[in-house]
Amino acid sequence: MVWKIQGVEGENYLESIKNFLNQLLKSKNVDAVLVPKRFPDGNNTAQVLITDPGKLDDIDPLAPVQMVNSAQIVKELTKDPVKEKIASVLRPCEVRATIELIKLKQILDARLYIIGYDCPGVYNVKDYIEKLEKSNGIGKEGFTLSYVNSFLSGKQDTIRESCQLCTHFTGNSADINIAWVGSNSSDVFIEVNSEKGQSLIEGLAGEKIGDLIERNQKINKILDERKKRQENEIDDFLGFMQRCIRCYNCREVCPLCYCKECLLKPEKMGYSSDRYLRRATKKGQIKMPVDTVLYHLTKINHMAFSCVSCGLCEQACPMDIPLGRIYNVFGRKAQALFDYEPGRSLDDELPVATFKEDELKEIEDVKE
Amino acid sequence: MSRSHFDSGEKVKKKLKIIGFLCNWCSYAGADLAGTSRLQYPADIRIIRVPCSGRMNPLLVLKCLQEGADGVLVSGCHPGDCHYQEGNYYVRRRMLILKNLLEYFGIDKRRFHMSWVSASEGAKWADVVKKVVEDVRDACEEEVKTAG
Ligand code: FES
Repeated sequence: MVWKIQGVEGENYLESIKNFLNQLLKSKNVDAVLVPKRFPDGNNTAQVLITDPGKLDDIDPLAPVQMVNSAQIVKELTKDPVKEKIASVLRPCEVRATIELIKLKQILDARLYIIGYDCPGVYNVKDYIEKLEKSNGIGKEGFTLSYVNSFLSGKQDTIRESCQLCTHFTGNSADINIAWVGSNSSDVFIEVNSEKGQSLIEGLAGEKIGDLIERNQKINKILDERKKRQENEIDDFLGFMQRCIRCYNCREVCPLCYCKECLLKPEKMGYSSDRYLRRATKKGQIKMPVDTVLYHLTKINHMAFSCVSCGLCEQACPMDIPLGRIYNVFGRKAQALFDYEPGRSLDDELPVATFKEDELKEIEDVKE
Repeated sequence: MSRSHFDSGEKVKKKLKIIGFLCNWCSYAGADLAGTSRLQYPADIRIIRVPCSGRMNPLLVLKCLQEGADGVLVSGCHPGDCHYQEGNYYVRRRMLILKNLLEYFGIDKRRFHMSWVSASEGAKWADVVKKVVEDVRDACEEEVKTAG
């Protein structure tokens, strides 16, 4: 159901989003919002937890840069039960990661409201900073707005690869989604997807509106392009893996890597000195650090079902391994086996946490 | 392998190293039965007993292959018969992804197998091992050919 909330429209999308969040806080429908914000110094945005509506100036969820997958922050925020209601404003990949983490019992969602928004994609941090510096003083807000315009006009080749491959760039599994793609003015619309979402806009003056036809057309056009891109395969997996220095960056930034006791931690992957020598003697040589392929294979096996393809691993990789694409391709393959889509809904059970008695007969490939 | 076997000019087959992970309650007992019934099967398999096939982690399989095993077999109770009710239902799903991803990593699918062997199926165990050995051998030979 799509709602138009009165008094939200500002001069641009950012201001409209700000006005909407302002209404949420003022109406006391929520006690705090978590949202990305610009700071006077520093070339980035960061998630801030705001309780005072006066601090909503300079929020910038549309800035084409993503420092962390905010699901990690939501996890930190919700680890103990609180009585305040928290609304987290998240990119669609963060919405999906949050839903996966709720299913994995890593996030307490009783007081959590998930607000998604149409995401125009992001640059890698390095590219973002470079482009911002070269943007001739249009300022950080100006940069975001001009980026949004170029997204709407269909340009997007230099964004992060996982964004180019992303086919879930609207937050339709969030409690509500702030929709702006396909809006003719600078107004935003509120798509309500759950009862929780409905309670979020309770008491706000607004009206229900019908389907946004232009929006759907725009979205479908982007989807078609991206689906075509998804057809590319990974041709040189082992070659890429040769570059890995096992720095664990990709594990640290992954929102879904949540185990406290990691099977792949350095102490478990390494060997004693004499064992290195024995292994080297066996084959004549071994590549150091050892087991980089094993590390990734195991990680992929563990993550494949829940990977939301946010691409943070790729951004964090110092060796420029295209992990975003690798995880996107393998993730989709694994998920397709069980018709599972991470973050689609809280009701879909995790494929590894459930089973059907009558399935996968073919896995027993050696019969009498 | 008998003397005449050598003399007949047939190629001597390379000994393989296949690691079998067998659940304690069914397949391990099945393999035991095969032994006590004096059934013949290739000696290319090394058996590791696991409490339940559900204990298997993809890392265990990958580690074997990486350390030089020619193949891996995971064997448990028949679906529905797991001693812990559900272990084999879960592992079935987990191993399915592994099997599907192996090829990308340059590992022939035929090096990894699963089977369900009960405690009374000594004969089936012998058959399973024969088939696995054949399959792994095919995979190895093909690899040598393409590599050469
Ligand atoms: S005990 Fe045999 S598979 Fe679980």
